Amino acid sequence: MLIKYEFLKILRKKSTLLVMAVSLMVTGFLFGLPIMQYQTYRQNDVIKGAAGIAYEKEQCAGFSVPLTEDYVTETIREVQQLFETPENIGYDGSEPFLIGAAYWDEIAPRENLLRLIANTYGKPNEFFGYNNLPALDVTDGARFYQAIDEKIEALLNDPSRELSAGQKAYWRALSNKVNTPLQYGYYGGWEVIISSFELLMFALLAVCIVIAPVFSGEYQAGTDAVILSGKYGKTKLITAKITASFLFGTAAFLLHLLVACGLPLAAFGVDGWNLPLQIANTTIPYPFSFLQAVLINIGIIYLVLLAMIGLTLLLSAKLKTPYLVLIILIPILFIPLFLTPNGTAGAYNLLLFLLPYRSTMPELNRFISYQFGGLVLDVLTVRAILYALCSVILLPLAKSGFQKHQVA
Amino acid sequence: MELQLQNLTKQYGAKCAVKDVTASLKPGVYGLLGANGAGKTTLMRMICGVLKPTSGSICLNGKTINELGEQYYTHLGYMPQYSGFYPDFTAREFMLYMSAVKGLDKKRAKERTQELLQMVNLSDVADKKIRSYSGGMKQRLGIAQAELGSPSLLILDEPTAGLDPKERVRFRNIISDFSKEKIVILSTHIVSDVSYIADTILLMKQGQFLLQEPMSTVTESIRGKVWELFADEGSAAEYCRDFSVVNLHHEGNQVRLRIIDEAAPSAEAQTVEPTLEDLFLYYFGNEKPEEL
Repeated sequence: MLIKYEFLKILRKKSTLLVMAVSLMVTGFLFGLPIMQYQTYRQNDVIKGAAGIAYEKEQCAGFSVPLTEDYVTETIREVQQLFETPENIGYDGSEPFLIGAAYWDEIAPRENLLRLIANTYGKPNEFFGYNNLPALDVTDGARFYQAIDEKIEALLNDPSRELSAGQKAYWRALSNKVNTPLQYGYYGGWEVIISSFELLMFALLAVCIVIAPVFSGEYQAGTDAVILSGKYGKTKLITAKITASFLFGTAAFLLHLLVACGLPLAAFGVDGWNLPLQIANTTIPYPFSFLQAVLINIGIIYLVLLAMIGLTLLLSAKLKTPYLVLIILIPILFIPLFLTPNGTAGAYNLLLFLLPYRSTMPELNRFISYQFGGLVLDVLTVRAILYALCSVILLPLAKSGFQKHQVA
Repeated sequence: MELQLQNLTKQYGAKCAVKDVTASLKPGVYGLLGANGAGKTTLMRMICGVLKPTSGSICLNGKTINELGEQYYTHLGYMPQYSGFYPDFTAREFMLYMSAVKGLDKKRAKERTQELLQMVNLSDVADKKIRSYSGGMKQRLGIAQAELGSPSLLILDEPTAGLDPKERVRFRNIISDFSKEKIVILSTHIVSDVSYIADTILLMKQGQFLLQEPMSTVTESIRGKVWELFADEGSAAEYCRDFSVVNLHHEGNQVRLRIIDEAAPSAEAQTVEPTLEDLFLYYFGNEKPEEL
């Protein structure tokens, strides 16, 4: 009963509806942008929006294959053969590229796949395109998976990463769990979602704004004295307020997720949900499919949300007005937006990757890990533990903050 | 039912808002009188358990608030000064919500809500949003919620503040209806409100009780100290400067003055029956109440 009324209190406010409407519109707009701005090229024209997406999917359909050693070797040879005909080649001043039918018929439909293959053979931090494939020696086969292992090894041994032996062993072990051969296919919708997760910050902010008055609003309205003098004012009511806040937060988050994931998946399709992340970047060490990665990151963002709800409620119980709560919360949420990591090692970077804003980004191919003695944990696990812990710690503090509130 | 306040003190830094207050209250209506800042609200908040005393204790039937825990609050109904409401709730929703906070079961909550809204004459507008209510309607809703659990201890802090005379009369009647067999503590600086309904007067000044007397005998202490006399306008101004003038009324060329003083202000002055208002002014002297 109390939860119902506390939930109603949150929902009935005009400000709640306004904040939610604005936040949903912003989320819809931001996640809709990749659809509206989508364009793909044909030999003679540019196709935009839904038509472009449909064309791209159709092109990709012919390459939904397992990336076996034979297939990769054959693909590289095909490109090399194209480069053997001088009429097919153009120069942009520094490097050759294919032109005319050789490009539009043979390369364009599978350029992402070719880039994926070429990049596997490139050095860390260097971009390789299909025009680097002719330089590869595939006389004895492409040794594609060996190249992946070598590149991962090179990345792990990059001195700037400052990875310990334990951390390297952790990433190697994780990476070894990736099933091979990789199954290639279209994954446009999932790519948009994974690259736009940080835009869900608006959802987090909206939830915090709406629940900021849960306790402090009572102080501001002068209702604190009445409710605290009720039988359950210092017990069940507080639990009801916290539960209602979590229910609202969860409902609002689901609504935002529906928009954030629904729009790209409706436009690009759910194709690729079961494909491995490595078809986007072969050095990603996490052995997840796109769907698994999205669900895991959504889970982490949800834990961030729960912790932010806990912090909001704690501040709300301690401060006199919701405005004061937001004055503290907004910088916590948004200052990290202006802080850029300068690597993946060092206290500054490792802390930055754990702040709420950065925690929304999956950082799948950066090998960010934390070592506690002999225990090595990847950034996703640390975020999950950290924010779950924050929620568990902050909620009792919020509860006791309101219990101890003095009406003065 | 007995509420005992034992050496109750509330200190804010160097300022003592309530100082060593001791009282034993049995069922009846207690008018807690005092000027603004006398410590009435602080005392009431402590009794309601929403403000911790610096020292001293509050006992109900011999048990402290801490010992009684939630049980204490089942005996309590509180209408704070400037009580807030949820503007997006209807009166009925607010009452049902408060019923849940007070631990009433669903059935009882519905019955009591209906009953009380009728008593405070809000049943016709029970399903309208509180934001559309006037100040008087909100005050009535405030007392209705205080009465929800049929409490045996009803604390009303300035319940008539800001109401027009008609609303105040209506409010006094509501309080009288609610006060049977209860300890009702009614704080106000509007003397006329308590003079009608209080059984006992608690006079508070600078955080302490100056007086705890039954209404019938409360003015005895100033009997023979309240005077009335007629004077011309020039002399009236001098009386106002030199004495505590309770009332001043122009009657033709003369001015009728009501003065409180230990001795007769002039040979023509005659003693009159003291009122609660006189008592208030006698004790509060220069501390002017906002409204008498």
